[in-house]
Amino acid sequence: MRARIERLLDRLIHASAMERIAVSLAALFASIIVGAVLVFVSGGFASCRTGLDLAGWTFCYNPIQVYYELFLGALGHPLEGGWSPTNFNLATTLQQTTLLIFTGLSVAVAFRAGLFNIGTQGQLVVGALATAVTVVYAAAIVPGGFVGTVVLIPIGVLAGAVFGGLFGAIPGALKAYADANEVITTIMLNFVAVGITSTLLSWRFQDPDSSNPQTEPIPEYAEIPNLPFGFGGTMDFSTLALAFAVLLMIGIAWLLARTSFGYELRTSGVQPQAAAYGGVDDKRMVVSSMTLSGALGGIGGAFWVLMVHGRWLENVPDLGFDGIAVSILAGNNPLGVGASAFLFGILESGSQSIGTATDVPPELVGVLSGLIILFVAMPEFFRMIGARYLHVEPDEPVWADGGGTDDGGETDA
Amino acid sequence: MTDSGTGTIADGGRGVEHGDGTARTAGGDGGGDLAVHLDNITKRFPGVVANDRVDLRVERGTVHALLGENGAGKTTLMNVLYGLYQPEGGRVVVDGQERAFDSPRDAIDAGVGMIHQHFMLVDTMTVAENIALGNEPRKWFGLAVDRERIDREIRDLCDRYGFDVDPGATVADLSVGAQQRVEILKALYRGADVLILDEPTAVLTPQEVEGLYSVLEELTEQGKTIIFITHKLGEATHAADEITVLRDGESVGTVDPTATTQEELAEYMVGREVLLEADVEPRENGDVVLSTDDIVVEDEREVEVVSGIDLEVHSGEILGIAGVDGNGQGQLIEAITGLRTPDEGTITFDGEEVTDWSRRERIDAGMAYIPEDRHEQGLVMSFDLVENGVLGSQRSAEFANGGRIDWASVRDHTEDIIETYDVRPPDADADAVSLSGGNQQKFIVGREFERDPDLVVATHPTRGVDIGSTEFIHDRLLELREEGVAVLLVSSKLDEVQSLSDRLAVIYEGEFVDVTDPDEITEEELGLLMAGEHPSERHEPTDTVATGDRGDAE
Repeated sequence: MRARIERLLDRLIHASAMERIAVSLAALFASIIVGAVLVFVSGGFASCRTGLDLAGWTFCYNPIQVYYELFLGALGHPLEGGWSPTNFNLATTLQQTTLLIFTGLSVAVAFRAGLFNIGTQGQLVVGALATAVTVVYAAAIVPGGFVGTVVLIPIGVLAGAVFGGLFGAIPGALKAYADANEVITTIMLNFVAVGITSTLLSWRFQDPDSSNPQTEPIPEYAEIPNLPFGFGGTMDFSTLALAFAVLLMIGIAWLLARTSFGYELRTSGVQPQAAAYGGVDDKRMVVSSMTLSGALGGIGGAFWVLMVHGRWLENVPDLGFDGIAVSILAGNNPLGVGASAFLFGILESGSQSIGTATDVPPELVGVLSGLIILFVAMPEFFRMIGARYLHVEPDEPVWADGGGTDDGGETDA
Repeated sequence: MTDSGTGTIADGGRGVEHGDGTARTAGGDGGGDLAVHLDNITKRFPGVVANDRVDLRVERGTVHALLGENGAGKTTLMNVLYGLYQPEGGRVVVDGQERAFDSPRDAIDAGVGMIHQHFMLVDTMTVAENIALGNEPRKWFGLAVDRERIDREIRDLCDRYGFDVDPGATVADLSVGAQQRVEILKALYRGADVLILDEPTAVLTPQEVEGLYSVLEELTEQGKTIIFITHKLGEATHAADEITVLRDGESVGTVDPTATTQEELAEYMVGREVLLEADVEPRENGDVVLSTDDIVVEDEREVEVVSGIDLEVHSGEILGIAGVDGNGQGQLIEAITGLRTPDEGTITFDGEEVTDWSRRERIDAGMAYIPEDRHEQGLVMSFDLVENGVLGSQRSAEFANGGRIDWASVRDHTEDIIETYDVRPPDADADAVSLSGGNQQKFIVGREFERDPDLVVATHPTRGVDIGSTEFIHDRLLELREEGVAVLLVSSKLDEVQSLSDRLAVIYEGEFVDVTDPDEITEEELGLLMAGEHPSERHEPTDTVATGDRGDAE
């Protein structure tokens, strides 16, 4: 029995890329079956006017319709007539994907450095406010029109990155120089971020023309243009932004794999003592990797302002927290973050689609999303755990002269 | 097969007496009673034949040593016997019955137990809990663990084999030697008649090794059979009744330790003649490369562990530091290599004061360092050898250009190290964790020696390395010395520091108690110095400044 499990694990660990994709698809399919049963049965306990009558019970929800909306609704119903690629639902999906790539990368970079950054949310909130305020003030001294677009957007993104980075550097410095656990400090700094931004807002940056807690709007020409495809003005998505996110993703992957800094970061993440031996200044590495992580979160905030709302609002969505799940699902591999963020984008947008097209309560839709993430993440999780387990067990005696079992648990090895 | 029931068994070199072996064949049915017979075992891994038609016959009630270099196939063969690997060819016969073990569980059921070098114990649990784990006797219809029975059975075992282990003690509080006895007890508790010990002495102090030998003796007297894996000649000749030598996956033969010499055994292992002692030519000293002035280091608990050490290492000189582990040599080395800041004193390297330099700056200035702990420091276990090949050089101009690592040239460099230092398997894409300890060490040594250093700080450079490679590493160290590199050598192997060093410093409780010419001191005197006692007053060692003048203390 144990030997069989070990063989299975071994098979899973050495699966090729194609096999892993096939496994993920199978997991997705399995989650749909389980979820469908759940939806169907739940329908039996709901009350509705029309439903499927079976043996005296009325089943209100149609699982096929629910999943149809979840997946195809997220793309704007491509199988129905009159479909255009630039539709509202697809725009929502891709908008979420774009923002989650930034926050997912933020969490992933910290993870690879051996740090658990739960503070991406706070870094995003701070970066977003910095972006909005900087752009609003800079707009006063920068000419409008095309020049304004070209100047203000980079300034805005830079402001988000700088302030997000600085806010991320705080827990980094606290860990490096005061030995404060980054999990605790980043969680607490999320509250600090909310407090600081709302104080700053009421102190100076509140939009005088509005009773809602929000900043003045940035000029329309400072919003990220809907290029090169025309997702209309209300859709709040720009292909250009997505392209930037994807490029940044590739850039981070390159940074980790090819540069001295990336090498030192990964070494610190898996074996801090070996990093110190190899001449890495551990304190500086903690601060710089947290700064990079915070900057990525801040860029996420910048795009949230520049692409979605055109201003900073007090109720910032939980993009930073979702970034943790995105990163874990991607095995903390920067290149995996894209696919992982897209899945989260679909679930987000598809949930809205279910809400408008069916009577299924949002709580149940949340359960379906959760099931999908759980099922898709599990094979990767078992790969991670399995690699560790198999290293510890039968391989161990091979190190005839003593071997540690220190294993980074990387999934992209 | 040799009849182990007669006479004494002497260590080939030193004539140490082993207890008499009268009860060795306690099974009573004479010399032909084989507890284990591995017949023509062949085990292949992709690209290598780890065991090529190996034959092993182990008599009941004897200690059988399996001797060979790193990668000779010793552990693979034992993993076949323990059910971890399934052989491609050959038969496994235990107690006269042919067996096919699918897993260690099957092997345990057949009375074969294995004690790994790395103990599989849960630190926070008690000895009794660890021993019974997975085999707990139950009471109340299987609802509760019968703790009294466990304790009773363990006490019985301890009495029977003369072990001094408290079943109620927490494992974390035990010494390494005691933990090893717990592992042995665990195997006995599961009914093992044949015990496989994988490099059992690697983690033990010399006293604990002696303790282990007496445990082995007791076990064989009670009819148990021991197979023990080692690459150390002295151990094999001392403790074993018979020795089977493996080389390159093939069995070279089985010998009687009383009828052979260490030199002969070494030749069997390596396949050629081996010089067990390095040949050191005295040479003139060059300039001072490294010097320390009154170094004081406190450890994490603010206890002073290095108390004012002065030393000088000249170009073209090997300064050896001998001492029992834990006398401050580790902290001294860390202060020199830049992993720790000394609390007082200065360090000068190549004429510049480097006390405040970072580790990075010291690497760049030409300090190579073979660390004591290769698993935590020397290698990143989950990285492949290419990535490990650049550890420490990741920012040097040779491999990194404008912050970008040139992986192609790193790969070339890594392949050179692998070839020159005979790292096996010769696969640059293998993860460091998959290599055996000796090969990991060879790789680190290669990486550090090929850094083109001015100073090599080598702590236990041959720990866990087989004799063929040890000889090679020693030769390379002497070559570096010829080239004018300064070498600071710390080793717990007395013969190593003594034969390689030009000058030998003895450290005790954070101070040098003597600096001497290694040729003028006997091993006994050295042992006494390491224990903090002065065997004679001939060096008048009131002050312990290590200067360039051989053997003189200021």
